[in-house]
Amino acid sequence: MRLAKRSRARLPRGEGAGAWLAAGSVALSLLALLALLSLLAIRGLGHFWPASIALVALDDGRQLAGEQVREVPLPDGTGRERLYRIGNRDLDGTRWAWVPVSAIAAVSHPPELMVLERHRWGEAIGRLVAVESETGERLEGQAARAVLENRMTELASLRQARDTLRDEVVLPRVQALQEGGDVERELATANARLRELQAAMQAGHLTLETASGERWQVPLDQILRVRYPNAMSPLDKLVVWGEGVWRFLSEGPRAANTAGGVWPAIFGTVLMVMLMSILVTPFGVLAAIYLNEVAHQGRLTRLVRIAVRNLAGVPSIVYGVFGLGVFVYGIGGSLDEWFFDAALPSPTFGTGGLLWASLTLALLTLPVVIVATEEGLARIPDQQREGALALGATRLEMLTRVVLPMATPAMLTGVILAVARAAGEVAPLMLVGVAKLAPQVPVDADFPFLHLERKFMHLGYHIFDAAFHGGDVQAAMPLVYATALLLVLVILVLNLTAIFLRHHLSTRHGALSRR
Amino acid sequence: MPDSLPPSPVRRRLRQGRDRLATVLVTAGGIGVIAALLAIGVFLAVEVVPLFWSGGDTQTVSPRALWSPLQAEDDLAGYRWDPTATLGTEEPARVSLLPLAWGTLEAAAWALLIAVPLALGAAAHSALFMSPRLRSRLKPTLELMEALPGVVIGFVAGLVLAPWLERHLADGLAMLVLLVPGLLLAGALWSRLPPRLQQALPLGWAGLWLLPWLLLVLAVALWLSPWLEAWAFGGDLRQWLEVRLGLDLAVRNAIIVGMAMGFAVMPSVYSLAEDALSGVPRSLSEGAQALGASRWQTLWRVVLPAASPGVFAAVMIGAGRAVGETMIVLMASGNAALMTWNPLDGLRSLAATIAIELPEAGPDGLHYRLLLLAALLLFLFTFLVNTLAELVRTRLTRRYRRLGGVA
Repeated sequence: MRLAKRSRARLPRGEGAGAWLAAGSVALSLLALLALLSLLAIRGLGHFWPASIALVALDDGRQLAGEQVREVPLPDGTGRERLYRIGNRDLDGTRWAWVPVSAIAAVSHPPELMVLERHRWGEAIGRLVAVESETGERLEGQAARAVLENRMTELASLRQARDTLRDEVVLPRVQALQEGGDVERELATANARLRELQAAMQAGHLTLETASGERWQVPLDQILRVRYPNAMSPLDKLVVWGEGVWRFLSEGPRAANTAGGVWPAIFGTVLMVMLMSILVTPFGVLAAIYLNEVAHQGRLTRLVRIAVRNLAGVPSIVYGVFGLGVFVYGIGGSLDEWFFDAALPSPTFGTGGLLWASLTLALLTLPVVIVATEEGLARIPDQQREGALALGATRLEMLTRVVLPMATPAMLTGVILAVARAAGEVAPLMLVGVAKLAPQVPVDADFPFLHLERKFMHLGYHIFDAAFHGGDVQAAMPLVYATALLLVLVILVLNLTAIFLRHHLSTRHGALSRR
Repeated sequence: MPDSLPPSPVRRRLRQGRDRLATVLVTAGGIGVIAALLAIGVFLAVEVVPLFWSGGDTQTVSPRALWSPLQAEDDLAGYRWDPTATLGTEEPARVSLLPLAWGTLEAAAWALLIAVPLALGAAAHSALFMSPRLRSRLKPTLELMEALPGVVIGFVAGLVLAPWLERHLADGLAMLVLLVPGLLLAGALWSRLPPRLQQALPLGWAGLWLLPWLLLVLAVALWLSPWLEAWAFGGDLRQWLEVRLGLDLAVRNAIIVGMAMGFAVMPSVYSLAEDALSGVPRSLSEGAQALGASRWQTLWRVVLPAASPGVFAAVMIGAGRAVGETMIVLMASGNAALMTWNPLDGLRSLAATIAIELPEAGPDGLHYRLLLLAALLLFLFTFLVNTLAELVRTRLTRRYRRLGGVA
C-alpha cells in the first residue's frame, strides 16, 4: 500500500524538456521539407505566369519598363531596392536593373506595353510603333497589331514547314548521299524549297519604342511570340501559363541552356532509366534467387550478403569511377579497336555514352534490387516451398510457379526504388556520358534506331549545368527551379508507387504467415 | 489429360535435367553478378598499385608526397592539392590528399552535427510519443525526403541559401539561438494550458501543431535579429567575426554544406534509428512505465540503452552517406582545397574532386591514378563503416529476439 501511494505521489506531471525538443525536431524536419518543396513549386511554376510589366518613372526623369523580380533591403540599411527584369539585352548590355525604391516617382502598368520573346538575346520590352512588311508598306497603331498577329501565325506555320522539310526530306537525303546514293536532284529541289521558305520568313521588321524612348527595329523572323501582359485577363494569363508549361516540357533548350524547354533532358533521363531497369532487373533477381534459394546458407553466404548490402552504401561517384575505368576506357576502348578502327582516333564507344551510363547505374542499383527481392523471398513461408516439393515439383518448377509469383511485388518494389535512385543520380553520370547539350536524341529513324554510343542530356545534370556553368545565372534560375521541380515530382511519384506496393505486399504476406 | 497419367521415365529425366541445368545457370549467374559487384574494390586497388610501384619507366609518386607537407619557402608550403599545374612539370608535385580528406571529413562532421540531433530527436518522438496514426503517415514522408536528389538540394543550398545567409547572417544566427528556447517555451506554456486545450493539442500530434509555433518563433527571431546584432556584435556580425575572431566569410562555406547535407542525411539516420527504437520489445518499456517512469525517463533509461547499438549503426550509415555525397558538396562548398578550422570557409571533398577532375584526366596518367586512389579511399571508408554498422545491427536483432522471449 505504501509503495503504491508513494509512486502515485511521484508520478511525473509532464514529460520534461526533452520530449518537447524531440517533438520540435520532427516539426523542424517537416518545416524544412515543406519549405524546400514550396520554394521549388512556387518559383518553378511561377516562372511561366505572364507577370505584369511595370513602367517605372524615376525621380531624374528616366523611365524603364520591366517585370519586378524582387525587393530587398539596401546593403547599408538605408532603404530598399527593387530588381527589374527589363529585357532588351542587345540594346542595353544587360537585362536587369536595380532601382532604389526611394528614387521611384511613379509606377504604372500601361496596357500597350509589349513583350517579344525572341530566338536570341531573350525578351524585348517596349511599345509597338509600326510594322513594316517586305514591300516597304508601313502600318501603325491598331492596324499594326492585327498585321503583327497575322504575320506571327504565318511565321509559325512557315517554321513548321521548314522543320518538317529539313527533318524528313533533306537530312535523310544527305545521309543517303554520303552513302553513295543517287539523290542529288531530289536534294537540290528540297534545298531550293528550303531557301524559299527561309526567304519568306526573313521579310519584314517591326519598330519598337523602349521605355527610355529609343526606337529600335526588330526583324520579324527573330520573334517567337508576342504578348501584351498588362492587357490580359486572368483567364488569358492562365492560358499563356499553360502554354508556357507545355513548351517547357516539349521544346529543346535555347541560349546556352538558359531558356527554352527540357524535352531532350526528359527524354534522355527516361531512356537511360529504362535501359538501366532492363539491365538491372534480371541480374538482380538472379543474384537474389541464388543467394536465398540455391546457395548453401553458410558463413560465406552470410558474408556475401552483408557485402552486397554494404555496396548499397558505397558512394555513387565510386561507381562512376568504376564505370569510366572499366566500361569506357576498358571495354569501350577495346570495342573501338576491334570494330570501329576506321573512326579512330576519335572514339565511338571509348567515350562516355548512353550504354555505359545505363550499365554504371545498373551496377549502382543492383544492391537495391537484390536486397528488396531477397527480403520478399525470405518472407515467403517455408511451408509453401515444402508443399510444392512434396507434390512432386522439381526445384525449378517450385521456383517459377510458387516462389517467384509470390515475390513479384517485392521485385517490383526493388526495381522502382532502383529507378527512383537512378533518376536522381548525377555524379556518376558526369564521368560516363552525360552531355551539357546533345544535339541529337539517341533515338532516331536511322539504323539501328537506338544509338547506344551517343551522349545524352539528363534532368539532374541540366540543373547543375544551367545553375553553375551558364553565363547569366540570374536569368537561368527560374528554369532551374522548374527543372528541379520536375525531377523531384518524377522521383516522388516513383517512390510513392514503391511505398504503395510495399504496403500491399506486407498486408498480403501478413495474412499468409498467420497460422 | 497427360498430368493424370503416371509420368513416363523420359519426361521425368527431361524435367530433372532441366532442373539441374537451371540450378547451374542460376548459380553461375548469381556468382557472376556478385563477383561483378565485388570487382569494384579489386579494380580500384589494382589500378592504384602502379602509382607507388612500377617495374619500368612510368612515373610514380612517393607515399610521402601524398601525406606530408610540401617544404617550400613561399606561401606554397604546407599541404597542397594542385595536380593539373604541377604534374609533369619541373615543379615539385603538389598532390597532397590531406586537404581533400580534411574537407571530406569536415563536411561530414558538420552534416552529422546537424543531422544526428534532429534525426535522433525525431526518432525518439515518433517511436515513443507520436500517435500511431500520425506515425504511419510521417515515416513514409520522411523516407521520401531521403529520395530527394542531391543535385536539387545542392542547387537550393548553393544558389538560394548561401546568398541569403551571406546577406542575413545575423538573422540565421538569431533563428538558431531562439529555436531551443522557443520549443522549451512551448512545453512550459502547454503544461499551463487548461486540460481541455491540452486534450485538443496532445503531445502525440505535437510534430504537426508545433509547425505554426515554429514559424512564429522564426518570425520573432527575424524581428529580434537587428537588435541582437546591434547589442552583441556592434551592429555588424560579419565585421565582428572578422575583427574579433579573424574569420572571414566565404559565400559557399562548410556551414552551408553541413546544413544541406544534414538535411539529406537526416532521413536515413532517422529511419534506421526509429526502427531500432521501436523494435525494442514492448515488455521493457511497459514494465518501466508500470513502475512509474515517465515516457521520457523510459526512453532515456530503458529504451535507448537497449537500442544503442542500432542507434550507433544508424549514425554510422549516416556518416558513410555524408562522406560519399558528391553533388551537394560540389554545388554548395566553393571547392577550394583549404585546411582551416574556420567553418565559414570553403572546402573541397574527395568525391567532388573526382567529379570535377576525372573527366579531364586522361586514362593511365598519374593524375588519373591519384583520383582513383581517392575513390579507393572513399570505397574503403564507406565499406568499413557500413560493415561495422551491419554487424552491430544483426547482433541487435538477435538481442531483441532474446529479450522479447517467445512473444
